Amino acid sequence: MKLSLSSFLVRTTSVMIVAALAVSACTSTTTPPGASTAPSAAAAGPVSGGTVTIPIGADPTLNPWSPNAFVESLFINRAIFDGLTKPGKDLAPAPDLAESWTVAPDGLSWTFKLRSGVKWSDGKPFTSDDVAFTFNDIVLKPDLGAQNRASYAAVKSVTVVDPTTVRFDLSRKFAALASFLAYNAGIMPKHVLSANPLTTTTFNKGIPVSTGPFKVEKYTSGQSVSLVPNENYFGAKPFLDKVVFTVVADPNTQVAQALSGDLQIMILDNKAAVDRMKSAAGLVVVARPLVQYYWLSLNQTDSRFTDVRVRQAFVQAIDRQAIIKSVELGYGSIANSPITPALAAYYDPSLASKYPYDPAKATELLKAAGWTPGANGVLQKDGKPFQFTMDVGQRGVLEPVNALIQQDLKKVGVIVDLNTMEWNSYIQKDVVRREYTATVNWWTYPSDPDVFPYYHSSAAGKGFNIPGYQDPKLDDLLVQGQSAGDLEARKAVYKQLQQYTSEVLPYLFLWYPQEIDVLSSSLKGVPELGLRDAMHYIGEWWLAKK
Amino acid sequence: MVVGQEVIRFLFLRVASGALVIVFASALTFFFINLAPGGPASVMRFDVTAEQREALIKKMGLDKPVTQRYVEWATGAVRGDLGTSLLTDEPVTQRIGERLPNTLTLAGAAFLLSISLGIPIGLIQALRRGSPLDHVLSFFSAIGLAVPVFWLGIVLILIFSVSLRVLPSAGVTGIATDTFFDRLQHLVLPAVVLASTVLPTIVRFMRSAAIEVLHEDYIRTAASKGLAPRVVVSRHVLRNALIPVVSALGALVPRLLGGAVVTEAVFSWPGLGRLALEAAQGRDYPLITSLTVVAAAVAVGTTLLVDLAYTRIDPRVRVA
Repeated sequence: MKLSLSSFLVRTTSVMIVAALAVSACTSTTTPPGASTAPSAAAAGPVSGGTVTIPIGADPTLNPWSPNAFVESLFINRAIFDGLTKPGKDLAPAPDLAESWTVAPDGLSWTFKLRSGVKWSDGKPFTSDDVAFTFNDIVLKPDLGAQNRASYAAVKSVTVVDPTTVRFDLSRKFAALASFLAYNAGIMPKHVLSANPLTTTTFNKGIPVSTGPFKVEKYTSGQSVSLVPNENYFGAKPFLDKVVFTVVADPNTQVAQALSGDLQIMILDNKAAVDRMKSAAGLVVVARPLVQYYWLSLNQTDSRFTDVRVRQAFVQAIDRQAIIKSVELGYGSIANSPITPALAAYYDPSLASKYPYDPAKATELLKAAGWTPGANGVLQKDGKPFQFTMDVGQRGVLEPVNALIQQDLKKVGVIVDLNTMEWNSYIQKDVVRREYTATVNWWTYPSDPDVFPYYHSSAAGKGFNIPGYQDPKLDDLLVQGQSAGDLEARKAVYKQLQQYTSEVLPYLFLWYPQEIDVLSSSLKGVPELGLRDAMHYIGEWWLAKK
Repeated sequence: MVVGQEVIRFLFLRVASGALVIVFASALTFFFINLAPGGPASVMRFDVTAEQREALIKKMGLDKPVTQRYVEWATGAVRGDLGTSLLTDEPVTQRIGERLPNTLTLAGAAFLLSISLGIPIGLIQALRRGSPLDHVLSFFSAIGLAVPVFWLGIVLILIFSVSLRVLPSAGVTGIATDTFFDRLQHLVLPAVVLASTVLPTIVRFMRSAAIEVLHEDYIRTAASKGLAPRVVVSRHVLRNALIPVVSALGALVPRLLGGAVVTEAVFSWPGLGRLALEAAQGRDYPLITSLTVVAAAVAVGTTLLVDLAYTRIDPRVRVA
């Protein structure tokens, strides 16, 4: 078992933080609850001015297509770059640089009408050439290895029709295109990046040229990135004078900074601190839905797991409600399909109660699959015990979750050995080489039910189909979902898909997490979305005067 | 001290052996980090397809054999080019150059704090050996050794930044307030926390060294000659007790660099320690190798300095 320093720190610290928080709770001078929020201020309407500080875990890469733009880069990139579309407040695609779009009757070409008069932050005009450049010369160039490239497998090329019109030509129908274009798909300036689209460091690690409501003022490596309003922005002038992203690697330091009033909004990664945050004066704690779900993948090259009864048994043997309660402190709900409740138009709530925790039922299913208890209570088949190894990547809540699953499976006679690994090595073994038997992880995906890349048989082995599950009926549903023309038709297909995946369990669905956001009570105008999605609306945020 | 041919010879030999150590350290690091499972962070991410991985590995030149890559890196390094960071595409020298001053400031402050507190405390404990004061100070030393750096860091942040609100909790400067005083304020907590990793050791070394010296005949002679106790302590006890302490300081500098990794993480201090952590986790081969070279150079350099300091302090050691 290997131990990486950072996750060791995080794990050990989260235990000790409770003690430390208790120390500070005794010494801090908090104002009584009730005095913390002032609802009357909200009625006064937005005012201009002020600085908002947001923590990020590491130095960002200011180019959404760079393979080095990790999760900490998303926040700023969504505040400074615009896509053709952006996630609406209902998460459906909404206009951004594109005003409108139409799909050809055969579904194989999409035409986007661009907003006219848009300028880059350096004053140069934004045109359809920039859109064509972003796709033809960055995303669709295989040797660049651009991030998110796999999302555009259906796109053949992008053609400039006129300065404010572009056409996406597709090799197959792709109903989710407008949603995918809203997801980390910022349009890049051709006049700046044409020589070197992904590794121009004066752009990625300096002052990029962008079209969004804010632009970068200063990038100080290891410390902060500050944004100021982009005077060339096409939309309404933002209310805030400044947005500062400070690099705070340790989640516990982030908590301390929020408590001392140094941060105005943050995602609370260390959920153990939620009560302390709730009781702090001047802070508001909210739960936000995420397009994310946790799963347990059982490698389909292992014949024990190709029997659907075994997979159904496992899902009922695992007390998922207990996991949500203990590791997420209740912030989440049971998942039985890949479509999350955040996608309200598609989500089928009737499936939530499909597999209650039922070890007796699990035992029965395992028996039907030929697994019977041996002398020591361990299930056996053909003289072999039901025993396997789960690889555990050291990140987030994965370690405690795996320990709970191990205990639950032991109760029905299945022996799980946990192999904890440093994250980078884990990815190489389980994802790159697919040398694993079982593992727990999560998927986050664009705000659209098109989950083709994670389930289609063509993605087994080397794409995102981690269990390697292959099923012609599921393939058919995935293609139907991409081909369906209108919303009602898509809803119908994805309802079937949820039903079917909950039945055959390509992955064992665990839970849909919620994000806990902590906001200063004076920060207003933040839409009720996960913080990363709310970044698209940063122009609407404002600070109430104290 | 006479600066003669002997000194130059001594320095030359020490520098040459130091250079050898650095070359060896760079080769060892380069091969081991390449042998470690995993790969650059851009390749080892969940949402990257096999096709993208292949393209990226080719782009970074990682399809070439390890020995070839090391020779390429080393040839560049000799000319002052430490390669390109795989995580940011920036020159490694630039990345290290941005962070080095911050780590030197932090480690330097912690070091000064440790010796300016550690030596007097150790001396007082030796002079008041067995007194309640000695026991209380020893108790704190033991606690200082036992408390983990990250925990101490968080507790101090909660007390001084969250509750009392007198000191900032992270970074080297405020966002709008980059003044000398502001930087000094930001330095206090990290320097105290980092000092806690070496201070107890210095105290213990100083205490036992001074106790030993106090039993020496020449001290009794000095005292019986009628020298004022103040003179005996400053001229004889302190000077002789410092000899083993100085040699221990050489060994403490690498520990200070190690402690900086954790301290920098807790206080978001943009130094080499945090850079090293990111480089190791993200398998930034040229960066982690170059950082090892810097750390090795610091260790070799301090050993050399300690040896030179020896010749100043210890009356028995004269190079010439």
